[in-house]
Amino acid sequence: MGGVAKNEMSKTPNAQLPTVHVQLSADGTTSNIKHPTSSTLWRMVDLIIAGIFIYAGAIKALDPVQFASDIDNYKILPWPISVALAFYLPWLEIFCGFALVVRLLYRGALSILTALILVFTLATIAAKVRGLDITCGCFGHASQNWSFPAHLATNLAILAALVVLWVSNRSPKPL
Amino acid sequence: MRSSLVRQVLFLAALALAPGVGEAVYFRHKISWQSAVLPSESVTVDQARTWGRNVIWVDARPDEEFARDHVPGAVSLNEDRWTELLPQFLAVWSPGTKVVVYCSSLSCNASREVARRLRREAQLPDVFVLEGGWEAWLKTR
Repeated sequence: MGGVAKNEMSKTPNAQLPTVHVQLSADGTTSNIKHPTSSTLWRMVDLIIAGIFIYAGAIKALDPVQFASDIDNYKILPWPISVALAFYLPWLEIFCGFALVVRLLYRGALSILTALILVFTLATIAAKVRGLDITCGCFGHASQNWSFPAHLATNLAILAALVVLWVSNRSPKPL
Repeated sequence: MRSSLVRQVLFLAALALAPGVGEAVYFRHKISWQSAVLPSESVTVDQARTWGRNVIWVDARPDEEFARDHVPGAVSLNEDRWTELLPQFLAVWSPGTKVVVYCSSLSCNASREVARRLRREAQLPDVFVLEGGWEAWLKTR
């Protein structure tokens, strides 16, 4: 089909060619052809994901004692590690969220958030398999009464959005 | 490109350390690194017994376990039926009374959660978690 179009164009050199938007990636290679609408869509997904992680991080940063307890409920890590993570992870989520908003350190932030949501999801499944009745702690008290399916569905939706952002192969600002 | 990605990940990971450490310092008196319960918020069976009648025992275990056996005079208050059981507990509580919450064993979390909610949501002072829980009580019975 592409060959046919090429032949048609070579026969009519003055024909009006369709305009396409080509973006260069950070390393200078032509990455893909983008439609402005799809760019806006990806940007919206960016901002939604960023908002989710900033909100979740902020809630947990405000109450690290509760978050340490929530991590401990999974019965995977020793208590001192749960405490250390309760102080550290919320800020990691917040910084990665802001990195998505300003599109600095973009791929680094995407990598970290993807790894985090994968770990959270696996921990949730592991807890369910072991019969633990856990409070996920994802969004502080807002998620206190979430059922396992709701918890899992939220995690998987976020994971799917992160994967979509990965494969959308956009052009982040260089470091 | 891969080294750039690793650099970005490491930079973000390092960036989050600073406020994390700051927060750990700020909350140093509100959380223990050794135990999930602050020493000032836990009590042994022997200590609790010395309080005599000035104590309400709260059983944070599921209903079936409470029905099977419990500390004499204990009130059932678990998170599964929190809204239903809390008023029943508050009806027997009076100011100045100490509250001792227990669950199954040293490793359970229910007593910690119930104690935390009693402090936060019911604004009760003098709420303690029983070290070792029901198992510890059985050993000293």
